[in-house]
Amino acid sequence: MLALIRPDGWNLPLFLHVFGAIVVFGATATLAVTGFASRRNDAHNALLARTIARAFILGVLPSWILMRIGAEWIRGKEFPSGADEPGWIGVGYVVSDGTAVLLIVTGILAGLSARRGRVMLAVPILATICVLGYAVAWFAMSGKP
Amino acid sequence: MDLYQWLLALHVTGAFLLMGGGVIAAILNLTALGRERPSEIVLLFGLIRVAVASILIGSLLALLFGLWLVHEAGYGYGDGWVVTALVLFVLGNAMGGAGGRRDERTAVFARELAAAGDAPSEELRARVHDPVSLALSYGSGLILIAILALMIWKPGA
Repeated sequence: MLALIRPDGWNLPLFLHVFGAIVVFGATATLAVTGFASRRNDAHNALLARTIARAFILGVLPSWILMRIGAEWIRGKEFPSGADEPGWIGVGYVVSDGTAVLLIVTGILAGLSARRGRVMLAVPILATICVLGYAVAWFAMSGKP
Repeated sequence: MDLYQWLLALHVTGAFLLMGGGVIAAILNLTALGRERPSEIVLLFGLIRVAVASILIGSLLALLFGLWLVHEAGYGYGDGWVVTALVLFVLGNAMGGAGGRRDERTAVFARELAAAGDAPSEELRARVHDPVSLALSYGSGLILIAILALMIWKPGA
C-alpha cells in the first residue's frame, strides 16, 4: 500500500512524463505503421514520406522533450539526493537515451525520405525498435520490479 | 513482482495502447484533412484501422486490469474518482466509436470515388471535414486525457 501513497506535488510532473511518453509511443508507432505501409503503396509513397516527416517534427520531437522534462522533474522530487535510485529508473534512462540516438537517425532519414519522395526502409524498422524499447520502459517503470 | 505490480504494469500497458492508438489515429486524420484525392483518403483512413486495433486491445486491458487493481489496491468501486473515470471511459468509447463509424462511411464513399477516376470531390471534402465526426473523435481523445489526469491525481482518494 505504501506504493500507492504519493505527495500531491509529484502529480503534475508525473502526468507530464506519462502523457509525453504516451504521445512519443503513438507518434513513433505512426512512423512504423506509415513506413511499412509505404512498401505496398508506390503511388502514395511521397504522401507517406511527408506524413512521417511531419509526425516526427510535430509529434515525436516535442513529446520526447516533454517526457524527458517530466522524468527529470519527478526524479528530482522522488530521489532528491540522487542516491539509492532503484533499477527501474536506470531502465528508463537506458531506453530514453538509447531511443534518442535511434530517433535522431530516424528523423534524419525521415527528412531525406520526404525530400526524395520515397520512404527509406530503415525508418519504420528503427521506429519499431524504439516502440519495443518504450514497451520495456513503461512495463519496468509501472511494475517497478 | 507481486500481484499489484503485475496488475499496474498490465493496466498501464492497456493505457499506452489505448491512448497511443488515439495518437496514431489523430496524426493520420489530421493528414487526411489536408488531402483532396479520394485514393489518399482511402489510404489514410485504412491505416487508421491499425490504430483502432490498438485502441480496442488497450481499452480491454485498461478496463479489465484497472477494475482488478481497484480491488487489489483497496480502493472502492464507489469512490468518486473511480466512478467518474468509468463514466468518462464509457462516454469516450461511445463518442470514439460513433466518430469512427462516420469515418468508415466516408472511407467507403472515398473508395467508390477512387474507383471511378479518383477525382477530388466537394462532397468527400465536406465529409472528411465533418464537424460532428471531428468533435466526436477529438472529444473522445480529450476525455482520455481527462481520465489519465484522474488516474494520477485520484481526487478524494
